[in-house]
Amino acid sequence: MLVQFYNVTKVYSNGVKALNDVSLKIDQGEFIFLMGPSGAGKSTFIKMLFREEKPTQGQIFISSRSIVRMKRGEVPYLRRSMGVVFQDFKLLENKTVAENIAFAMKVVGASNREIAVRTAEVIGMVGLTGKENSFPGQLSGGEQQRVGIARAIANRPLLLIADEPSGNLDMDTATGIMDLLYDINRKGTTVVMATHARELVRDAGKRIITLEAGRVVSDLCTLE
Amino acid sequence: MNLKNFGYFIKEALISMSRNRVLSLATVTTMAICILFLGVAVLLTINAGNFMNQLESDIQMIAYLDDALTDNELQAIESVIKDTAGVQEVTFVPKEEALQRLQAKFSEEDYDLQQTLGKNPLPNSFEIKAVNPQEVAQVAQVIGEIPGIYKVNYGQGVVERLFQVTKWVRILSIVFMVILALGAIFLIATTIRLAIFSRRKEIYLMKLIGATDWFVRWPFFIEGILIGVIGALIAIGLLSGGYTSLINNAQTALFFIPLVSQQSILIQVYLALAAVGVSLGTIGTYISINRFLNV
Repeated sequence: MLVQFYNVTKVYSNGVKALNDVSLKIDQGEFIFLMGPSGAGKSTFIKMLFREEKPTQGQIFISSRSIVRMKRGEVPYLRRSMGVVFQDFKLLENKTVAENIAFAMKVVGASNREIAVRTAEVIGMVGLTGKENSFPGQLSGGEQQRVGIARAIANRPLLLIADEPSGNLDMDTATGIMDLLYDINRKGTTVVMATHARELVRDAGKRIITLEAGRVVSDLCTLE
Repeated sequence: MNLKNFGYFIKEALISMSRNRVLSLATVTTMAICILFLGVAVLLTINAGNFMNQLESDIQMIAYLDDALTDNELQAIESVIKDTAGVQEVTFVPKEEALQRLQAKFSEEDYDLQQTLGKNPLPNSFEIKAVNPQEVAQVAQVIGEIPGIYKVNYGQGVVERLFQVTKWVRILSIVFMVILALGAIFLIATTIRLAIFSRRKEIYLMKLIGATDWFVRWPFFIEGILIGVIGALIAIGLLSGGYTSLINNAQTALFFIPLVSQQSILIQVYLALAAVGVSLGTIGTYISINRFLNV
């Protein structure tokens, strides 16, 4: 069991109840779509996974460790077992493609040799070989998201978290990104992806968790 | 922090300074100006204090003696004064010398005072300095009661006013310095916060990827220290240049103000300012960065 939520409730300091008594389990190797309208609690759920937010009530275990009771100093090490992909890519504009990926590896203390080897490898995996020295501003949206994914998998995470990764992309580009994520999942990485795009989810045959007003309203392998 | 990372941190700090050239320049300039003003305030305070000390140390008491005291009695009185609490220095001024001094004041007029007066009307006296000029009134009172002394002068009235003035000069110069120091801290913290704010996205990312707080902090600290050192060096250069030329050129015009010019004191001031620059850079960074680390 990779992720376990037990009766997780989150109330923000402004009184908004973003999650309400959520309990669920995610197994190693699963691919999960997290669906629901804006404000349903998807972002909060995702922020809980890498402990940007803590629950107001309830328990969360990742690899059987409580991340609620976790000390502040341990959080970086939790996050090193995860990769995060953002809707707005969050690339560093003043660093090249290769530097953006190397940056993520440097942060976790990889050696320069490891970095050189692995950077070339992940750039190849996301199909950007030849663009190593381009800056994000010189790339299309789809290419930028591929850099984001390459950065997220560079440290070989157990869990890849993607928050609306195709939200800013057209349909064709989005499909390409999805293929890439499926590919990563096939190699053993658990993927949790929040999205609005029903057309991406409909025929995927993956587990779909739907949130509404902070509650899990369905958890099935088809879209209702 | 291991050594492998240290090289990386320095490189990151230098890259970030050159990529954020305008902000770095703004921070260095702010830092230099603040330290310069602070340095001016420190030098003013030191000089004001020095000048006030000098004014106060000029204060002395004159104890006038009865005529017709024998040499033995004079010596006895002198030793009593010397033993009085708070007395630092006693000098006997015989009446002949007193007359000569008076004569000296009239020297230009070229006439013989003694001849005019017929006899020497001035008494023998002791010139007395107090250990602490502020206590001169009390000491004068005690000495005035010694038999054989008929009067003690210390500039009654004027001295009290002088002490009022020196007290306020000291207080105001320190208040001035403290206000400047607070202003400098505020200004520098704000500038650094601005510089860090422009990179909050990078910090957020580093934290999400799994960077420890110190991994994020170090490059910023090194940057803060570098900016502090550069700012302080510029300020110290300007300040020492300005002050040296002030000593060389203005000392003749302002001869009545004794400018502090001992190299040892000045070097201490400059070193302290450099330390202030580094600490302001570090503290400013520490305060500013922590709010962005809370991810």
